[in-house]
Amino acid sequence: MLRIAAVLIGLIFATAAGAAPLERDPTLRGLCGNAAASGEAADRLLSATPTLSPDDLAFADAAIGGLLSKKLVCPAAPTDPVALKADTGAVDLATGAPLAALPKGKAPVVSLKNRAKFERLAAALALLAAPNAAARAAALEVLAKSAADVPADLFAAAAGREPDPALAARISSVADLASLYGTDIDKRVAAVARLAEGENRRVLTEIEALRADPAYASEPAFAAAVDAAAAKVSGAIAIGNAAATLYNGLSFASILFMASIGLAIIFGLMGVINLAQGEFIMIGAYVTYVVQEGLRALLPGLLDWYLVIAIPFAFLVTALIGIALEASLIRHLYRRPLMSLLATWAVSLFLINLVRVGFGTQNLQMETPFYITGGIAIVGDFIMTWNRLFAIGFAALTLAGTWFLIRRSGIGLDIRAVTQNRDMAGCIGIPTRRVDMLAFGFGSGLAGLAGLALSPIYNVNPQMGTNFIIDSFMVVVLGGVGSIAGTVIAALGIGQINVLIEPIWGAVAAKVIVLALIIAFLQWRPEGFFTVAGRRK
Amino acid sequence: MTNFTRRSIIKAAGVAGAGLVLPLSAPNIIRSARAADTVKLGCLFSSSGTMANIEGRLNFVVKMAADEINAAGGVNGKMIDVLTSDPASDWPLYAQIGKQMLQQEGVAALFGCWTSVSRKSVLPVVEQSNGLLFYPLHFEGDENSKNVVYVNSPPASSVLPAVDYLMSDEGVSAKRFFMLGSDYVWPRTINKQLKGYFASKGIAETAWKEEYVPLGFSNFQTLVNQIRAFADEEGGQPVVILTCVGSSIPDFFREFINQGIKATDVPVLGLDVVEADLEGLDTAPLVGHLNCWAYLQAAEGPANEKFLADWKGYVEKNAVPYRADVSIDPMVSAYDSVHLWAMAAAKAGSFDVPEVTKAFDGLSFDCPSGYKIAMTAENNYVSRGVFIGSVNEAQGFDILWQSEDTPKPVPFSPFG
Repeated sequence: MLRIAAVLIGLIFATAAGAAPLERDPTLRGLCGNAAASGEAADRLLSATPTLSPDDLAFADAAIGGLLSKKLVCPAAPTDPVALKADTGAVDLATGAPLAALPKGKAPVVSLKNRAKFERLAAALALLAAPNAAARAAALEVLAKSAADVPADLFAAAAGREPDPALAARISSVADLASLYGTDIDKRVAAVARLAEGENRRVLTEIEALRADPAYASEPAFAAAVDAAAAKVSGAIAIGNAAATLYNGLSFASILFMASIGLAIIFGLMGVINLAQGEFIMIGAYVTYVVQEGLRALLPGLLDWYLVIAIPFAFLVTALIGIALEASLIRHLYRRPLMSLLATWAVSLFLINLVRVGFGTQNLQMETPFYITGGIAIVGDFIMTWNRLFAIGFAALTLAGTWFLIRRSGIGLDIRAVTQNRDMAGCIGIPTRRVDMLAFGFGSGLAGLAGLALSPIYNVNPQMGTNFIIDSFMVVVLGGVGSIAGTVIAALGIGQINVLIEPIWGAVAAKVIVLALIIAFLQWRPEGFFTVAGRRK
Repeated sequence: MTNFTRRSIIKAAGVAGAGLVLPLSAPNIIRSARAADTVKLGCLFSSSGTMANIEGRLNFVVKMAADEINAAGGVNGKMIDVLTSDPASDWPLYAQIGKQMLQQEGVAALFGCWTSVSRKSVLPVVEQSNGLLFYPLHFEGDENSKNVVYVNSPPASSVLPAVDYLMSDEGVSAKRFFMLGSDYVWPRTINKQLKGYFASKGIAETAWKEEYVPLGFSNFQTLVNQIRAFADEEGGQPVVILTCVGSSIPDFFREFINQGIKATDVPVLGLDVVEADLEGLDTAPLVGHLNCWAYLQAAEGPANEKFLADWKGYVEKNAVPYRADVSIDPMVSAYDSVHLWAMAAAKAGSFDVPEVTKAFDGLSFDCPSGYKIAMTAENNYVSRGVFIGSVNEAQGFDILWQSEDTPKPVPFSPFG
């Protein structure tokens, strides 16, 4: 009965749209079948999309959307209807009628091959029927990637319906790519030029393949177009690769810099070998997590901005812990560097286990707000990822803040004075004890900020700090103990060299080579890049 | 107030500190208080260090299985007493504690190790004391000791079926392979065997690429760039075979997402990826990536329902610090191990290792995976089912494919 009604409704709409009606129930049963049947149903549906009525488009969209989001329930019994889970209850998908109860069954697991088909199908449906232009444009991007697998009349149909003239032109442009392998040489030349707008390796591979085409030998215009396109695309790729290397180096450098700037203050300016520095980074990340959870509970609207809101908390909490540590432990050990090394190591183990008891060993679930998700293609194959850009920007701001505080503020002047000559600074009335405490707190707070900046990039767990301690000592020693400029240059150098070596000899060799280079450099200049006159003992 | 001199505070702090430290510095092995007439089993799973998060939960599974057996009357008239320890993810410490357990505590069997390097470290100890070690992880094979029971699958019955699936029409017709692993024995051996396998299938050497990163590596930008470049070359569908372990796994996936690669573009077959590795990740952009194990939480059947309910109950009753709703393959394998040992000991009527080993022939057990797992006289391998999982939105895996029965384990790979 229901099925007849469905066919009737379908017929009415079909007549209105002047197209063949979609056989909904068989389509759904096909989608619910095994991988092969499901894939075939998707293929049939895709080739039918250009002629579907608006009602059938909405139906197909619901079915494919339901499949991909696992809201589609395939019934165990063939007599039960294929259902779609709704916010309240369920609907019979073929008829749209609400169902009293969800039929017994399960959401099918989509195989990888079919997932690609369904995603293409969902994009085709969105291009034809999505209400907003941005969604249609996004769908076009998906389809353009695999234009060869899309029926040609789909683009024609979509361009005909498209109300936005700019988007309609883009649709036709993608459609024209299909004539790349046609017979009309003028169209082919135009298609090559359009293809070259893509400027990535995938396009280059396709263009290079055209050199084997018979037309390349027989038609000089075509050959010239292919050569020009290949040159244009490979030029863009070369620029993109260089930019990617620079960007990757810069982003790695920003991480190294964030991890080591706090140590540059504590070890560099104060001469304390603080092995708990990594744990301050970890605590900064945990404070960020606590702020995130607090926002989730109290101000869910601001949850996306937790990384910004947590900045003062991450800094202050770790700074206070640092000050407490300095006042209770470190100040007794200023004249005994070996003891301070052992004591801070103990503190590091203590903090790790404290966090482990308090939060557990698992990786924390950090939200990824929209502004650090994904990336944007710049040129060639260079994708600028937002989370790395966030880290780079954060490092730049931290550098500016640190530089200002040390070079331009009163307390900075005091810190520099105490560093250069503690006794003389004391004689002229600088409260050296308080300066020590503040400097240590500042160095710890910077590590806390590092934890915040690294939390969207790395796993946050009690162990995370130990990964950074070696790298940060490496940067500080190479840069020249006590020099902020040295820290920056060392971080940039190590980051860039790592990224340059990695693709050639692999990540393991990159680490070895970088360490060997540092050893060689320190043989030549034991004091690092920059030297600051200070109380080295 | 005046009484609080600095000295008295330090003294008080010292006493408080000693109070805190003493219970922690108790001997390594934690014994439960049980009377005589018990048989001891030892666990070698780290609850601190890099492996803590995934390995630590296996201690509790072994205890849970022992409780089950004890509730049913024990083995040979004796109750099982489980000793746990913490080798702290420090490979040589596994051997040291293993030796202590075998020689001083006289445990009837050991259950332990996750990484192959820890197993290799314990191996000489169990062989020397003629002990018995149940190893619950799938691994690189190429080892066959009479003192180790390999409860999980060698590559021939885990990795190769998954690669076959990827290469098939039903999978993605994979033609090219980017092998990315952590730099130690398991990934290198697996990749060596895979290369042999590809060669035997007539796949050209240009169709694969092999890269290694140090353990704990996290900066995957350049490598993901390389994967994109590899994927854009000609020659057919590329896939990534990921043998990274530990914290590198989520870091890799995070970079993979950010560079905008989807499973439908380049699928990743993560050989060591379990549900616990996806904790803390938004898995929506990862949907479709694959793993392969001898058990997945989504396995159907009453045995799995019972196991999941038992684990949930055990976690809640004993306040176990792990998630009650996550169950991973090595947990089930550890659970199977205890039952297999108990069945063998009961069959032999003895706890002597040679007797128990002899009794392995013909044992079978209804594993929570839904397969009847079995052992033969040929070797100490257990034949298990094969699952291929596909990452879903809920930080778990859906079953994409599973074998019809349990393939016969092949300890030594013919491919390398």
